[in-house]
Amino acid sequence: MTPTLAETARATPLVDERSLPFFEAAERGVLALQRCEACRTFLHPVRGRCTSCGDTRIAWVDASGRGRVWSHGRLRRSYLPEHEGVLPLALVLVELDEGVRFASRLASGDDTLVRTGDRVAVVFERLADGTPVPVFRREV
Amino acid sequence: MSSNHPLAGSSAISGLGMTELGRVYGRSATDLAVDAVLRALADAGIAKDELDGLLLNAGISQGIDLSLAQAIGLRGLALQTQMNGFGSSAGQMVGYAAMAVNAGLAKHVACVFADAPLVPGARAGQAYGGARPGRRGMMSILPALGFAGPIPYYALHAQRHMDLYGTTQAQLGAIAVSSRGWAQKNPLATMREPLDLAGYHASPWIVEPFHVLDCCLVSNGAICVIVSSAERARDLARPPVYVRGLAQAHQLEWDDAAPSLAQRSSAAAFAMAGCTASDVTLCELYDCYTFTVITTLEDYGFCKRGEGGALAESGALAPGGKLPTNTGGGMLSGYYMWGMTPISEAVIQARRDGGARQVTNPDLIAVSGNGGIFNYHATLVLSPHARS
Repeated sequence: MTPTLAETARATPLVDERSLPFFEAAERGVLALQRCEACRTFLHPVRGRCTSCGDTRIAWVDASGRGRVWSHGRLRRSYLPEHEGVLPLALVLVELDEGVRFASRLASGDDTLVRTGDRVAVVFERLADGTPVPVFRREV
Repeated sequence: MSSNHPLAGSSAISGLGMTELGRVYGRSATDLAVDAVLRALADAGIAKDELDGLLLNAGISQGIDLSLAQAIGLRGLALQTQMNGFGSSAGQMVGYAAMAVNAGLAKHVACVFADAPLVPGARAGQAYGGARPGRRGMMSILPALGFAGPIPYYALHAQRHMDLYGTTQAQLGAIAVSSRGWAQKNPLATMREPLDLAGYHASPWIVEPFHVLDCCLVSNGAICVIVSSAERARDLARPPVYVRGLAQAHQLEWDDAAPSLAQRSSAAAFAMAGCTASDVTLCELYDCYTFTVITTLEDYGFCKRGEGGALAESGALAPGGKLPTNTGGGMLSGYYMWGMTPISEAVIQARRDGGARQVTNPDLIAVSGNGGIFNYHATLVLSPHARS
């Protein structure tokens, strides 16, 4: 039996051991990223080895939480029950100053029109189940 | 224009088998795949026991696997595997088959794609999303944030192109309208009602800048092509469609500062074929989204980066245009058989079996396959002529 979208693309995050530091930092209001201790490359998503030099010494560090809008769009249709009544969502792909591309959205209620290249900074919001998630606001 | 590459023109597509496509219910992906392979064998005039190679690619429902050989009853396989390069799979299968027949490892290799994700009463988007595995860890926050499935990513890549180069909504629409124009001439196409730009703009938003009509269909069905050596293909039932060039290229993510995967793949395939984009007379491009066609046209060299929208808007791609593109309606209006949609249409056109949609000069055909979020790419250069 093929699972439904609601069962598979679930809106409730599943915290696993490897990603725990990300969620713990989010509780502190900090965006954490993995960084290779050998070559200082930032890694996203979570890896067990550096994708640049291959080293296994990977540490979680507090990132700046700041970056530029790589692109943006508006989610207008969703099959997730969690999105009922909250659409549209202002989606952004952010090129963080650490050099990784991060998918998220603008903060709730933020109707600012962002453009590609705009500076943004992270803020945290909680999902319905309480999980803190990084979202972005345009820097003024 | 010529090439000394040992693979150039050394193999040909000798058989094509297509099942009913679209909202075809009550048949499993395996049933459809068996049907497509048998149809391709009959088309080529190859006896089942002569088929010694089988490459297969399961679509979003993952409904076929290596047991397909048993279901067909293939006793003498010398080469067999299941492949996945997402949208680049079909081009890759033909590429590996071409290498195999050229090296003498097999005589005839069937390359088959089959999928049956659609069920009565469910929307295409649900059928597509429903087959995706769940995520764990850091990336599991993405669906709640609005990134479920590939559409948001492609939509945002399109928006970046609009912001950087001035590509317009109407230019995305021109791709949808052009594909529908071709689909109206294809009896197998799913979406054959007339579509104009106003109809495109009026269609529901999914993720701005994408309307529903910027996104491809979801389809049930199967398509098989058989690759044989050029020499063997010439003795078979149908005119050979020669594989003049083939290549792949892959990238980690879109990077404006580096040559794109489609630039690298097309450059290598065109070099093998000894041609340039200006020699190409027909395009069959992987159109998971309207935007994919625009960026592929640019990266293949049919226009400069940023000019793909204007090229579409000029009418060049539509019936009667100077660069006919996706002449069966593509995956936007025809059927979503991953990379087999563009390949099968190239074969139909090269054989001049296109009926009302037949182009006048299908002499050199560029075929693309694109998978992931611009992660995986394959290019084929196909032609009814062994050499120029």
